[in-house]
Amino acid sequence: MARASRFALLAAGFALGVFSLAVARRGIGYSFGGGSAFAGAAELAAGYALLAVGFAAWMRPRQARLGAILVAASFGWFLVEWNNPGAGSAVVFTIGLVLYAAAAPLVAHAMLAYPDGRVGWWPGRLGLALGYAGSVLVLGLLAAAVFDPGAEGCAQCPRNLLLADGGSSGTYGSLNRAGIFLGLTWSLLVTVLAAGDLIRATPARRRLAAPVVVAGCAYLGLVAAEFAHSWHRGFLGFDGLDRRLWLGEAAALCVLSLAVVWAWVRAWRTRSALAGLVIELAESPPPGGLRDALAGVLHDPSIQLAYPLADGRLAGTRRKAVELTGEVTPIVRGRQQVALLSHRPGLLAEPALAEEVAAAARLALENERLQAEAWSQLEDLRASRARIIQAGDAERHRLVRDLHDGAQQRLVTLSLALRLARTRLGHGLDPALAERIDEAEDELRAALADLRELAQEIFPVILAEEGLSAAVEALAEAVPVPMEIITLPHERLGSLAEAAAYFVVSEAVRRDPVSTLKVSAARRGSRLVVEVEGGNMPAEITDLQDRVGALDGTVTVVRGPGGRATIRADIPCES
Amino acid sequence: MRVVIADDEVLLRDGLDRLLTEAGFDVVGKAGTARDLHRDVELAHPDVAIIDIKMPPTHTDEGLVAAQQIRASHPAVGVLVLSHFLESHYAMRLIQQHPGGAGYLLKERVSGVGVLADALARVHEGECVIDPTIVSRLLRRARPASALGQLTGRERQVLALMAEGRSNKAICERLFLGPKTVEGHVRNIFTKLGIGESADDHRRVLAVLSYLRSAPQPQA
Repeated sequence: MARASRFALLAAGFALGVFSLAVARRGIGYSFGGGSAFAGAAELAAGYALLAVGFAAWMRPRQARLGAILVAASFGWFLVEWNNPGAGSAVVFTIGLVLYAAAAPLVAHAMLAYPDGRVGWWPGRLGLALGYAGSVLVLGLLAAAVFDPGAEGCAQCPRNLLLADGGSSGTYGSLNRAGIFLGLTWSLLVTVLAAGDLIRATPARRRLAAPVVVAGCAYLGLVAAEFAHSWHRGFLGFDGLDRRLWLGEAAALCVLSLAVVWAWVRAWRTRSALAGLVIELAESPPPGGLRDALAGVLHDPSIQLAYPLADGRLAGTRRKAVELTGEVTPIVRGRQQVALLSHRPGLLAEPALAEEVAAAARLALENERLQAEAWSQLEDLRASRARIIQAGDAERHRLVRDLHDGAQQRLVTLSLALRLARTRLGHGLDPALAERIDEAEDELRAALADLRELAQEIFPVILAEEGLSAAVEALAEAVPVPMEIITLPHERLGSLAEAAAYFVVSEAVRRDPVSTLKVSAARRGSRLVVEVEGGNMPAEITDLQDRVGALDGTVTVVRGPGGRATIRADIPCES
Repeated sequence: MRVVIADDEVLLRDGLDRLLTEAGFDVVGKAGTARDLHRDVELAHPDVAIIDIKMPPTHTDEGLVAAQQIRASHPAVGVLVLSHFLESHYAMRLIQQHPGGAGYLLKERVSGVGVLADALARVHEGECVIDPTIVSRLLRRARPASALGQLTGRERQVLALMAEGRSNKAICERLFLGPKTVEGHVRNIFTKLGIGESADDHRRVLAVLSYLRSAPQPQA
């Protein structure tokens, strides 16, 4: 409906309230709001509250349907006064006869259709159909067609325009009783349905809809009580109890209107917080800062952000694994799930809010998602490098053990056999042969020494068996340059970290074979820090960085005074 | 002298058995595992156990561990560990707890029956035996200018023999020196290196080896 028409309806609604109260005051005995200033105020308050909230909802693109229903309900609320002798005009009186009971199904409709204006559930639709049939058709149109005010004892009533050829008191009474029976049935049915729906809803939806549904159910409960009270009387009337129930209904409708407004206020607060987020994010947030920014503006420190990867895993930022607990809302752009946001229950209850988060943080989300993806790929790559290195080390260790257990052992056995042969031959041995055997023994000893050196170069067994300290000490015994050992760790630190640290030291020794080296290795928390200081440290340390980087460690060269430099490796280790 | 041999290599075990028997030793037991070795030590009452450092199941240091256990549980039984490792770390591990009656030789020494017999006799007498190759490697080791440089050639010879576990008497015989002279050298060495002198021969080995293993700070 055009904007202008909606404003016209708003104006009409206000006028309707004033006019209806005037009608009520002219026929106090047949009205709810005419009897006292308080009742009049209650009538206007409930009607205008519904009208204003309905109009406001109507102006919101997502709640236009709900707004129309609420505005209609406010009209229905006022029309209850029009089947009154004080109506003064036959047209007004006749409209009143048809629509005096229309408010209840309209309010029920608004409640079931909250928040988006649609009732997508067939039992709800059935209940509403019964409501409209009972209140507008049976109690309204059909009853009006047979109602003769004069015959029913209302001499001062205006003419009933729908009355065709004389009323029928009997039919009128039957229709009223049927309408009351239907009214009692549908009002109870819808109350039960709405309450059940609320209990079964997701926590987020429950939190959002509960105030409106509770107020609506209270209203419908009072309506049902009114129908029950009218059962014996045979028509809806205006006695003391009726008036008290009606006042209760007015209060329930005021609460219902406030509940709709309260949901807006909550959403508005979150939204204005999000507006703050846009500004904050504009100042180029640090990686991982989006979570903190969201936690700050939404006042929820428990917020976690995770980005779904192509392989189904979830990646966090700051290279940490994330676990999402509590309520999780997907943030969707187009058809793609960009991120998952876990938060305290109900924070993003209004469906539009998650979209607004997506819109406000669009660039930052995209940025962080790419970053998380990149980090996780890097992490995979690093783990793969570590596995390759570990497999290589294990293979070389196996080779060396084979050398020890195979070739070395056989050579020792061979030299033993040679010695035995020689003693067997005794003292009468030909000196030339004895010399040949001596030569062979010397050769064997040399072969064993070569083999030992080879094994040492392939893999330092002492590193795997006795640990970093023993291996570095053994290195210091073997190398041609003096090594000054400042400190070494006493405990084992995991084979990967130890192997990387040893590699740093042994490579430094290999490349700086002329100056005295100062070596230190110490554990600091969960890191193993190795420092080798020398006079001719190489500038090119790519292979060290490869080896240490595979464990997520770093290698740097720090140039000191007097041409000395320190290679510093920082390696994560087992604690 | 009663000897048990522990080595998981059958050929080597048998060869060593024949060699030692021919050299006049009484081989009273042969074991392929640490458990068999302990049983032989318990039942055969050997004077010395010859133990390969690598034994089943992991072939790392089971022999070394078994040797230390025997030293602790049977103080009368000497142990001689045979090893492929030149690194002084393993030798130090062996003698740290019980320096007396323990020896550490490189495995290829088995063919030199003279060296082997000498080591067995010394271990049996409660001395400490360290392979000369390991000692000379430690002495040759590159180090910043240290107190070691102030030793005379003769003193270095005496130091090496001390590190191998020789007693003063043995040093006298080796270097054809009188007891007073050797005692003088020993005193000089300890003074120059700043090591507290020890009356006990095997404690002396530990002190000297520790000194040689550490890379001392250059003297100011």
